[in-house]
Amino acid sequence: MDQLLPTEIIEAGGAFPEALAACGDLDALLRLKGAYIGREGSHAARLMDLLKTAPKEQKRDLGAAINALKQQWEEGLKARQAELETAKKTRAAQASQWDPTLPPPVPVRGALHPLNRLMDRLVDVFRPLGFHVEEGPEVETEAHNFDGLNIPEDHPAKASSDTFYLAAHPELLLRTHTSPVQVRTLLRVAPELAKRGGIRFLAPGRVYRKDEIDPTHSPMFHQVEGMLVGHGIGMQHLKGTLEYALRALFGPHTEIRLRPSYFPFVEPGCEVDVSCPLCAAKGCRVCKGSGWVEILGAGLIHPNVLAYAGIDPAEWSGWAFGMGVERMAMMLSQTPDLRLFFENDQRFLQAMGGLD
Amino acid sequence: MLIERQSLAQEIPAVAGQETRQLCEILAALGFPVDGVSTTEGTDVLDVDITANRGDAMSHRGMAREVAAKLQQPLTPLPDEGVNEGAALVEVRLESPACPIYATAILELGGGETPEAAQHFLRCMEATPKRLAAVDASNELLLRYGHPTHAFDADKIRGALRVRWAQAQETLVTLDGLTRTLTSQDLVIADESGPIALAGVMGGDSTKVTAETRRVLLESAWFDPKTVRAMARRHSLHTDASHRFGRGADPAMARVARDLLVARLQAWCGAKLQGAWTAGAVPQAQSPIPLSEGLLNRIAGEALGLDLAEASLVRLGCQVARDAQGLRAVPPSWRHDLTIPEDLAEEVLRLRGYEHIPSTLPPLEGPPEHLAPAYLQKQRVARRLAQLGFHQTVTYGFISPEVDAPFSGPANPVEGRTLANPLGYEYSVLRGSLLPSLQATAEQNLRQGARQVRLFELAPAYVSSPAGPVERATLAVVWGGILGGEDYLSPARAVLEADLTGLAKDLNLPARPPVHRLGEGLFGIEVAVADLPLPQDRIIPSFRAFSRFPSVERDLSLLVDLDHSYEALHGAMAAALPGDCLQDLRCVDVFRHKNLPEGRQAWLMRMRFQADRTLVGEEVDGWVASALAAAESLGAKLRA
Repeated sequence: MDQLLPTEIIEAGGAFPEALAACGDLDALLRLKGAYIGREGSHAARLMDLLKTAPKEQKRDLGAAINALKQQWEEGLKARQAELETAKKTRAAQASQWDPTLPPPVPVRGALHPLNRLMDRLVDVFRPLGFHVEEGPEVETEAHNFDGLNIPEDHPAKASSDTFYLAAHPELLLRTHTSPVQVRTLLRVAPELAKRGGIRFLAPGRVYRKDEIDPTHSPMFHQVEGMLVGHGIGMQHLKGTLEYALRALFGPHTEIRLRPSYFPFVEPGCEVDVSCPLCAAKGCRVCKGSGWVEILGAGLIHPNVLAYAGIDPAEWSGWAFGMGVERMAMMLSQTPDLRLFFENDQRFLQAMGGLD
Repeated sequence: MLIERQSLAQEIPAVAGQETRQLCEILAALGFPVDGVSTTEGTDVLDVDITANRGDAMSHRGMAREVAAKLQQPLTPLPDEGVNEGAALVEVRLESPACPIYATAILELGGGETPEAAQHFLRCMEATPKRLAAVDASNELLLRYGHPTHAFDADKIRGALRVRWAQAQETLVTLDGLTRTLTSQDLVIADESGPIALAGVMGGDSTKVTAETRRVLLESAWFDPKTVRAMARRHSLHTDASHRFGRGADPAMARVARDLLVARLQAWCGAKLQGAWTAGAVPQAQSPIPLSEGLLNRIAGEALGLDLAEASLVRLGCQVARDAQGLRAVPPSWRHDLTIPEDLAEEVLRLRGYEHIPSTLPPLEGPPEHLAPAYLQKQRVARRLAQLGFHQTVTYGFISPEVDAPFSGPANPVEGRTLANPLGYEYSVLRGSLLPSLQATAEQNLRQGARQVRLFELAPAYVSSPAGPVERATLAVVWGGILGGEDYLSPARAVLEADLTGLAKDLNLPARPPVHRLGEGLFGIEVAVADLPLPQDRIIPSFRAFSRFPSVERDLSLLVDLDHSYEALHGAMAAALPGDCLQDLRCVDVFRHKNLPEGRQAWLMRMRFQADRTLVGEEVDGWVASALAAAESLGAKLRA
């Protein structure tokens, strides 16, 4: 029968499967469809024209051949269309999907400064015991910073080699410890001390000493002061409170050790060691193998300090402690250089500070 | 203070058998922590930390006294050298109460030098033996017994010795070769020629002992601690002697130390004693200090009782008497730190060991106080900013006047905030603003390769006032660099001023704070913490009804001049809209393009309406038309 068909149609028929496969998208397929079975100018249209003009005796056979050809083309096109449509759907689906292992957008994270975070933690630890926070100015009077704390008039700390003074106000200085907050607070609450049933507070804050900046010294650093005034307060209460607080801070198995020491504003005075939180007191570099690290200084409030504030030391007594925040932060974190805390590199802050 | 083990054992034989580690623990329990142990010439040398109040412990004898009291073991008795006093060979006049006793002797030196044992001891103490018997013996004595002595070349002294206040502008060349100009608060030893020693601090060059010295005059006195401290500070002369006299030496040791020194010189170099005598006398013992059982037990936290207290205090050298009120203790002549009953209680606890102190929580006598709103405010804002991705910084409170000036302004002059003795010019003024510090920190971070800096600080800024710098708790935030661009969904863009304005809005600042441009793409805001709105008192605010009917949104794209005020436009449009139905009116897009008429931009204004009923299209159209009319009255045009 093929001899009835023109050569170019036979060739077109032979090229069809390849052309079909070559259609990469529906548009190409549509063009192919037009070329083969379109209403006008297509191979199929030309065949229909051929059929009309064919001799009568050939019409039957020719018709059958044309139909076979057309059917083959139509089926081919239909199948390819379905294929391409499926492929398109798949691609569309893929386009709205992302590999879940791609790095996702992450909400930004900031951080509290590690020193502030440590001070906040201390406040948290003492809150259940009824301590609140007192704050005082960093520019202080000599009276609050020294005299009210039973520090002798000729104490070396008063020298301008140790303490920053204001040029225009020789009586003003940058506080060298948080202890003047004791003096201020006691002076303020003295008249109502009986009514309020004593006082207990923490005073976290920044303090200044005239030290050059190096890996272990800074002219500005932080302390947390703790103070409690009540009736019949003794060393056992200091020990009990610190034991509670330091266990809350370092873990329930923490032990504390008091050693006699001397600070002008307390009597008796002591240094407080805590069993090394880094090695569970087994001995390490931080505790120099001893299992203990010095954590704060403390003692019972010197009667002169109470008397200065107008509080009768025969009736009232109390304890106080002072803790170096940087020292503790460096010990806990093994930070090798104090200056890192004041350099404020975001990488350091992010790693060390965080947010509770 | 260095303590050599074997020398300590000479004073208290009981420690001879103890390990160094045990000894360190005993010392630490007594309040003398050991900073380190080194082995020098085959013996352990302990570096003992001695608090400023315990001048009496700054010697082997002093340390031995403490250990003996703790261990209840005897001290080796001080040797009685049997030096007989006679008539004064040189008149010694004590003209100031700051020197109540002055024991002295004159010896003619023989041959021979410092014995090896003494040299070894001095080397262990990190002191260099001078090989001059009189000098080395004085040093050795000081380190062993804690009492400073001095040897003058007796042949260089002219006439009588006076212990007197210096006259202002008198000079003295001290042993270190420096010429000291004296004041009337300096106590000196003087002869007819003038001052020959700074009392209790350092000898003079003109009378120093040399290899040629044939006769020495020894000084073993007691000088008032406060006077010596002031002199040491005034002349920046901190010597072994000034440390001990400054913290309080033992006046009863004056004669004893003189005798020990005499005996050493006799033994070491065959010196011949020409005469020994003493001017003045040991001052009266302190008056007794009372200690009641109540006070003792209150401090101790348990019923220790006066018997234990008495026994402890006696072990420490106190003379104790009992009376109806409790006990009365006269401290030994070396303990100047014991002055009040609490001091005595501490001694009892210290000897017993602080490890025995019981542990209990103090009872609550009144209601706990709340945290102050100002404190909570700082906590809250710090947490919020950290949640928003900002890093809290801590920077120094003092900065250079130059960087301070642009942020502080003329109303806040630096003069009132300047330090008298800063670490340096760049740390010389208390900052009037936190922004310069944050700017420097931000720039440092960017230089270090940070894509974005988000920093904040909560700290005082200072305002000069006639009464001194006034502190104002301040919050400063800086933000800069590139936002986003670090994942496939967030486009990158530079941080803009508007980001800071948005942040201020998040913090609920009542007024929009000025945004400071601190550098290319770096911005900052600064506000007083007091200006941050306090959170409402109510845990949950009152209920406010909200509509459940659907809301209607309409957009208007308006062409406005490039310098048009958004605030004015927003105000006019809002005024034209029904307040009870207008939920929101805001610009949601700004379009600037060359295709727009020159000098114009397009603002896409979005309105959202909602009411307690279903809104009808026509009425909303009416509102939008009035809003448009209001906008047009300000020069805006509907964008085609």
